[in-house]
Amino acid sequence: MYTRHMSLRREYELPADPVIEWYKKDVDRTLLREHLKLTPQERLEKLVAFMRSLETLRISRTAR
Amino acid sequence: MTPDLLGLLRVLSEAEVRYIIVGGVAGGMHGALRTTLDLDVVYARDRANIARLVAALAPYHPYLRGAPPGLPFTFDETTVMRGLNFTLTTTLGALDLLGEVTGGGSFEQLQPFAESAVVSGFQCSVVTLPKLIALKRAAGRAKDREALAELEALLEERDNPTP
Repeated sequence: MYTRHMSLRREYELPADPVIEWYKKDVDRTLLREHLKLTPQERLEKLVAFMRSLETLRISRTAR
Repeated sequence: MTPDLLGLLRVLSEAEVRYIIVGGVAGGMHGALRTTLDLDVVYARDRANIARLVAALAPYHPYLRGAPPGLPFTFDETTVMRGLNFTLTTTLGALDLLGEVTGGGSFEQLQPFAESAVVSGFQCSVVTLPKLIALKRAAGRAKDREALAELEALLEERDNPTP
Protein backbone atom coordinates (compact mmCIF):
# COMPACT_ATOMS: atom_id res chain seq x y z
CA MET A 1 0.00 0.00 0.00
CA TYR A 2 2.77 2.44 0.85
CA THR A 3 5.16 1.40 -1.92
CA ARG A 4 5.09 4.78 -3.67
CA HIS A 5 5.87 6.55 -0.41
CA MET A 6 8.65 4.09 0.41
CA SER A 7 10.33 4.78 -2.92
CA LEU A 8 10.03 8.49 -2.25
CA ARG A 9 11.80 8.07 1.08
CA ARG A 10 14.61 6.21 -0.68
CA GLU A 11 14.94 8.98 -3.26
CA TYR A 12 15.47 11.57 -0.52
CA GLU A 13 17.41 9.23 1.78
CA LEU A 14 14.82 9.49 4.53
CA PRO A 15 14.83 6.25 6.52
CA ALA A 16 11.43 5.28 7.89
CA ASP A 17 10.85 6.50 11.40
CA PRO A 18 8.08 4.52 13.13
CA VAL A 19 7.01 7.47 15.30
CA ILE A 20 6.70 9.79 12.31
CA GLU A 21 4.83 7.09 10.41
CA TRP A 22 2.46 6.75 13.36
CA TYR A 23 1.70 10.48 13.39
CA LYS A 24 1.36 10.50 9.62
CA LYS A 25 -1.85 8.46 9.81
CA ASP A 26 -3.60 11.46 11.34
CA VAL A 27 -2.39 14.11 8.90
CA ASP A 28 -5.30 15.68 7.02
CA ARG A 29 -4.07 15.31 3.47
CA THR A 30 -7.12 16.99 1.96
CA LEU A 31 -5.95 20.33 3.41
CA LEU A 32 -2.40 19.71 2.22
CA ARG A 33 -3.64 19.02 -1.31
CA GLU A 34 -5.57 22.29 -1.28
CA HIS A 35 -2.46 24.13 -0.11
CA LEU A 36 -0.33 22.55 -2.82
CA LYS A 37 -2.52 24.24 -5.43
CA LEU A 38 -1.37 27.66 -4.17
CA THR A 39 1.84 29.56 -4.93
CA PRO A 40 4.42 30.06 -2.13
CA GLN A 41 3.28 33.69 -1.87
CA GLU A 42 -0.38 32.69 -1.52
CA ARG A 43 0.56 30.14 1.15
CA LEU A 44 2.54 32.72 3.08
CA GLU A 45 -0.27 35.28 2.82
CA LYS A 46 -2.74 32.67 4.04
CA LEU A 47 -0.47 31.86 6.98
CA VAL A 48 -0.14 35.56 7.88
CA ALA A 49 -3.90 36.12 7.57
CA PHE A 50 -4.55 33.12 9.78
CA MET A 51 -2.12 34.40 12.42
CA ARG A 52 -3.82 37.83 12.34
CA SER A 53 -7.22 36.18 12.78
CA LEU A 54 -5.92 34.21 15.75
CA GLU A 55 -4.56 37.40 17.30
CA THR A 56 -7.94 39.12 16.82
CA LEU A 57 -9.67 36.19 18.50
CA ARG A 58 -7.20 36.27 21.41
CA ILE A 59 -7.73 40.01 21.88
CA SER A 60 -11.51 39.72 21.75
CA ARG A 61 -11.38 36.90 24.30
CA THR A 62 -9.24 38.82 26.79
CA ALA A 63 -11.35 41.98 26.30
CA ARG A 64 -14.51 40.31 27.64
CA MET B 1 1.95 40.85 18.83
CA THR B 2 1.35 39.23 15.47
CA PRO B 3 4.68 38.96 13.67
CA ASP B 4 4.96 40.80 10.39
CA LEU B 5 6.60 37.96 8.50
CA LEU B 6 6.28 39.62 5.12
CA GLY B 7 7.71 42.82 6.59
CA LEU B 8 10.75 40.99 7.97
CA LEU B 9 11.37 39.23 4.67
CA ARG B 10 10.97 42.48 2.76
CA VAL B 11 13.49 44.27 5.02
CA LEU B 12 16.09 41.52 4.53
CA SER B 13 15.54 41.17 0.80
CA GLU B 14 15.48 44.89 0.04
CA ALA B 15 18.82 45.25 1.87
CA GLU B 16 20.17 42.38 -0.30
CA VAL B 17 20.98 40.28 2.73
CA ARG B 18 21.93 36.74 1.67
CA TYR B 19 19.74 34.39 3.67
CA ILE B 20 17.77 31.18 3.36
CA ILE B 21 14.41 30.69 5.07
CA VAL B 22 14.25 27.52 7.17
CA GLY B 23 11.90 26.37 9.96
CA GLY B 24 8.15 26.85 10.17
CA VAL B 25 7.90 29.66 7.62
CA ALA B 26 9.73 27.48 5.08
CA GLY B 27 7.25 24.70 5.87
CA GLY B 28 4.38 27.14 5.37
CA MET B 29 5.77 28.27 2.03
CA HIS B 30 5.90 24.64 0.91
CA GLY B 31 2.30 24.12 1.97
CA ALA B 32 2.42 22.95 5.61
CA LEU B 33 -0.49 24.10 7.71
CA ARG B 34 1.21 24.57 11.06
CA THR B 35 1.51 28.15 12.19
CA THR B 36 4.70 29.63 13.52
CA LEU B 37 5.46 32.76 15.45
CA ASP B 38 9.03 33.35 14.37
CA LEU B 39 11.10 33.57 11.24
CA ASP B 40 14.21 31.36 11.09
CA VAL B 41 16.86 32.23 8.54
CA VAL B 42 20.37 30.97 7.87
CA TYR B 43 22.49 34.01 6.95
CA ALA B 44 25.85 34.23 5.15
CA ARG B 45 28.69 35.01 7.57
CA ASP B 46 30.87 37.13 5.30
CA ARG B 47 31.61 40.62 6.58
CA ALA B 48 29.71 42.46 3.84
CA ASN B 49 26.56 40.42 4.40
CA ILE B 50 26.74 40.90 8.16
CA ALA B 51 27.05 44.67 7.59
CA ARG B 52 23.93 44.62 5.40
CA LEU B 53 22.06 42.48 7.93
CA VAL B 54 22.91 44.76 10.86
CA ALA B 55 21.99 47.91 8.93
CA ALA B 56 18.71 46.41 7.69
CA LEU B 57 17.55 45.37 11.15
CA ALA B 58 18.74 48.43 13.09
CA PRO B 59 15.48 50.42 12.66
CA TYR B 60 13.55 47.48 14.15
CA HIS B 61 15.46 47.41 17.45
CA PRO B 62 16.77 43.83 17.55
CA TYR B 63 17.24 42.56 21.09
CA LEU B 64 17.91 39.16 22.64
CA ARG B 65 14.62 37.32 23.05
CA GLY B 66 13.79 36.44 26.63
CA ALA B 67 16.61 38.56 28.08
CA PRO B 68 15.80 41.19 30.69
CA PRO B 69 15.74 44.76 29.41
CA GLY B 70 18.78 46.93 29.89
CA LEU B 71 21.50 44.38 29.12
CA PRO B 72 24.56 45.83 27.40
CA PHE B 73 23.57 44.17 24.12
CA THR B 74 24.22 45.96 20.89
CA PHE B 75 23.30 44.32 17.64
CA ASP B 76 26.25 45.46 15.58
CA GLU B 77 28.77 43.89 13.22
CA THR B 78 31.18 43.02 16.04
CA THR B 79 28.46 41.22 18.00
CA VAL B 80 27.37 39.20 14.96
CA MET B 81 30.97 38.37 13.98
CA ARG B 82 31.71 37.14 17.52
CA GLY B 83 28.49 35.15 17.81
CA LEU B 84 26.79 32.67 15.50
CA ASN B 85 23.12 32.07 16.21
CA PHE B 86 20.87 34.79 17.65
CA THR B 87 17.27 34.52 18.83
CA LEU B 88 15.95 38.06 18.57
CA THR B 89 12.88 40.14 19.08
CA THR B 90 12.34 42.98 16.66
CA THR B 91 9.46 45.41 16.28
CA LEU B 92 8.45 43.33 13.24
CA GLY B 93 8.41 40.07 15.21
CA ALA B 94 10.65 37.27 16.44
CA LEU B 95 13.62 36.48 14.24
CA ASP B 96 16.11 33.64 14.62
CA LEU B 97 19.36 34.35 12.81
CA LEU B 98 21.34 31.16 12.31
CA GLY B 99 24.96 31.20 11.24
CA GLU B 100 24.78 27.42 11.11
CA VAL B 101 21.96 24.94 11.35
CA THR B 102 22.15 21.34 12.58
CA GLY B 103 22.18 18.99 9.61
CA GLY B 104 22.60 21.81 7.11
CA GLY B 105 25.72 23.70 8.14
CA SER B 106 26.43 27.21 6.95
CA PHE B 107 24.66 29.36 4.36
CA GLU B 108 27.10 28.21 1.69
CA GLN B 109 26.55 24.55 2.55
CA LEU B 110 22.79 25.00 2.52
CA GLN B 111 22.67 27.04 -0.68
CA PRO B 112 22.53 24.03 -3.06
CA PHE B 113 19.37 23.00 -1.21
CA ALA B 114 17.60 26.34 -1.56
CA GLU B 115 15.11 27.51 -4.14
CA SER B 116 13.92 30.99 -5.07
CA ALA B 117 10.46 32.31 -4.38
CA VAL B 118 8.94 35.67 -5.22
CA VAL B 119 6.89 37.04 -2.36
CA SER B 120 5.07 40.36 -2.68
CA GLY B 121 7.40 41.37 -5.50
CA PHE B 122 10.68 40.60 -3.75
CA GLN B 123 12.93 37.60 -4.18
CA CYS B 124 13.79 35.30 -1.31
CA SER B 125 15.44 31.92 -0.88
CA VAL B 126 13.77 29.05 0.91
CA VAL B 127 15.22 25.67 1.77
CA THR B 128 13.77 22.82 -0.32
CA LEU B 129 11.14 20.61 1.27
CA PRO B 130 13.32 17.42 1.37
CA LYS B 131 16.16 19.38 2.98
CA LEU B 132 13.78 21.00 5.48
CA ILE B 133 12.70 17.50 6.49
CA ALA B 134 16.35 16.42 6.78
CA LEU B 135 17.10 19.47 8.99
CA LYS B 136 14.19 18.75 11.30
CA ARG B 137 15.20 15.10 11.51
CA ALA B 138 18.79 16.09 12.30
CA ALA B 139 17.62 18.42 15.08
CA GLY B 140 16.18 15.31 16.76
CA ARG B 141 13.63 17.17 18.88
CA ALA B 142 10.67 15.16 20.12
CA LYS B 143 8.30 18.09 19.49
CA ASP B 144 9.18 18.02 15.78
CA ARG B 145 7.86 14.52 15.19
CA GLU B 146 4.29 15.65 14.48
CA ALA B 147 5.51 18.48 12.28
CA LEU B 148 7.74 16.00 10.44
CA ALA B 149 4.76 13.74 9.79
CA GLU B 150 2.98 16.65 8.12
CA LEU B 151 6.05 17.66 6.09
CA GLU B 152 6.67 14.11 4.90
CA ALA B 153 3.01 13.69 3.98
CA LEU B 154 3.29 16.98 2.10
CA LEU B 155 6.33 15.70 0.20
CA GLU B 156 4.47 12.50 -0.69
CA GLU B 157 1.45 14.44 -1.92
CA ARG B 158 3.61 16.88 -3.88
CA ASP B 159 5.87 14.37 -5.61
CA ASN B 160 3.47 11.51 -5.88
CA PRO B 161 -0.09 12.77 -5.52
CA THR B 162 -2.82 10.45 -4.37
CA PRO B 163 -4.81 9.58 -7.51
